Amino acid sequence: MIEKHLSSQFDSDLNSVCTQLMEMGGLVESQIKRAIHSLTNFSLSEINDVLDTEARVDQMEIEIDRALTAVVARRQPAARDLRLLLAISKITTNLERAGDEAYKIGKRIKSLVETGETRQMPIGDLRVATDLATDLIHRALDAFARLDVAAAISIYKEDDLIDCEFKGFTRKLITYMMEDPRTISSSLDLLFIAKAIERIGDHAKNISEFIIYIVHGTDVRHSKLKGIEDIVQ
Amino acid sequence: MHPLFSRMLSLLILMAGGAALAASVEFTGVGLGIAVGALAWLIWDTWRAQVFADWLHHVRDEPDTPPPPRLDNQRREAVERVQRLLRKQALEAEELENHLHNIQSALQASPNGLVILDEQECIEWCNRMAYEHLGLNNRRDLSQRITHLLRAPALVKSLAARDFTDPLMLESPLATASRPLRLEVRLLPYGQGRLLMLSRDITAIEQAEIMRRDFVANVSHEIRTPLTVLAGFIETLQTLPLGDDERNDMLHRMTQQAGRMKNLVDDLLTLSRLEGSALPGTKEWTPIRTLLERLDTDARAFSAHLVGQNAPGHELVLEGMDTSDEIAGSASELQSAFFNLINNAIRYTPPDGKILIGWQTQTNGGARFSVQDSGPGIAPEHIPRLTERFYRVDSDRSRASGGTGLGLSIVKHVLQRHDAKLNIESTPSRGTCFTVTFPPTRVRVSGSEIDDAD
Repeated sequence: MIEKHLSSQFDSDLNSVCTQLMEMGGLVESQIKRAIHSLTNFSLSEINDVLDTEARVDQMEIEIDRALTAVVARRQPAARDLRLLLAISKITTNLERAGDEAYKIGKRIKSLVETGETRQMPIGDLRVATDLATDLIHRALDAFARLDVAAAISIYKEDDLIDCEFKGFTRKLITYMMEDPRTISSSLDLLFIAKAIERIGDHAKNISEFIIYIVHGTDVRHSKLKGIEDIVQ
Repeated sequence: MHPLFSRMLSLLILMAGGAALAASVEFTGVGLGIAVGALAWLIWDTWRAQVFADWLHHVRDEPDTPPPPRLDNQRREAVERVQRLLRKQALEAEELENHLHNIQSALQASPNGLVILDEQECIEWCNRMAYEHLGLNNRRDLSQRITHLLRAPALVKSLAARDFTDPLMLESPLATASRPLRLEVRLLPYGQGRLLMLSRDITAIEQAEIMRRDFVANVSHEIRTPLTVLAGFIETLQTLPLGDDERNDMLHRMTQQAGRMKNLVDDLLTLSRLEGSALPGTKEWTPIRTLLERLDTDARAFSAHLVGQNAPGHELVLEGMDTSDEIAGSASELQSAFFNLINNAIRYTPPDGKILIGWQTQTNGGARFSVQDSGPGIAPEHIPRLTERFYRVDSDRSRASGGTGLGLSIVKHVLQRHDAKLNIESTPSRGTCFTVTFPPTRVRVSGSEIDDAD
């Protein structure tokens, strides 16, 4: 993915940081997948796995930042290399946060399972949003590996779907809470889970913004989709 | 003139001319003539050499280029040799290419995903199945490091530790909730630190394994329940002095439990026979009327047995009794499948309910058998799973009324063997309708044997 430099050591440094980032991405991806899986099967062992992965993800974030500092200090990169390194640093932060959201989901499910109030809650309605969120994170990482701007833009567009799902789900939970105040505490748990899923989608979207930044050198954060498409063309 | 001689001659003239020019100025006219001749010859020879060089340059790309015209014999010889060499090389290259192409086609034909990784674990080549399994594209993803695209922690770990002893069970990156895809991935080291990655689709195998495990667990559970009850009664009978009434009551209940176990084992045997035996052909024809009459008798007897002799029992209505249709296949299997449907309807419908059993010929030549009850109905989420073995909507109730949990599985099997389809429609608290649809090939009107010429 990286063009050749005069110093092959520089190439291998950049490659190894990328590999580390992708490894971290893989960890977060599987953490999210398992967190979401445990939403349907309430398996405590799976939830504990999710909670345990958290420490490893945090450690990887620190390792990658350290490696980045070393590369910047030693090579004084410019242009695209500099953008790549900056973007990796930001993507790491986003991945770590996405991992945190998976951790939160795990925690909330654990409390739902322990109170035993999982049966009558509309957990199935989260299905569309969870599928979208895992898919977006997966595609964001793929797009980074291939530096694929078209894929990055499609992620940017689809994040809105998760937001819509989240709004619909919130309305549904409100009706549940109004009908039967006993469901309030588990409804709140579910609300936080839905929010975490929505946030995972946002992190995928942020990652896709950095891909555009690496390739085109334009910072597209906080810009409208139309503007981004113009820049890319 | 011999070319060697002519060249020697030209050279001699050139030398003589040069010498004469240098020696004396008296022969200026002759010397000039010689010098001009030599120059002309030099130019001509240089031009020929250039033609040859151009041809050599050109022929590298296209070995079949004809030799350039106007060449002396030595050069012509060189041209021929070069051409022969090039043609041989081209042939060898073509052979190698064909060979490579054949090997690649063979690898493409493999049902396994194949990825060749170089020393840096970058993708060097992958086949089409690798795209289906892992989403790797032979054009787009070449020289991409494998862990950038396949990020499963198990794979990353195995590559980092270079531990390739055990196959890895991974979920494909292309798997979705509606289309699960589980893969067994093997990494095989070869050459100097290179790797061959093989992926195999094991979704079906894993599902079959889960089904088998569930089935064994279910059977054991179903058999153990009546056994536990029996053992309890036996212990009571052995240890406690009981009166005759109590004893008889206990023995009666023991008989019930033993009967339940027998039903279960019978059903299991039926299922295994259905799975193991040959498909029923279209040679044996049974009149529907005979089947329906037998079903009617059995149904009334079963209803009376369930409700009790004195109560009025279910209202059983048979429609289409006057049909002259015949059906192809095993009469005993169909009889037991139909009766299973009726049996279910009777067991789940309250005694004052109505059960409608019908046979209708369809316009396309096929026919429909239906059992409609006015029972409590089935919630829609249960309907797709009803024909699973031991699937019960309400397990207490099903067991209490003597069900084994295998009835509808048997029905499904029998119907599959007869190319028929089972359709279940239900409205909770209104009733359920089971419909069996037979294709035209399985149904004929009595006496129309000519149709069955094949």
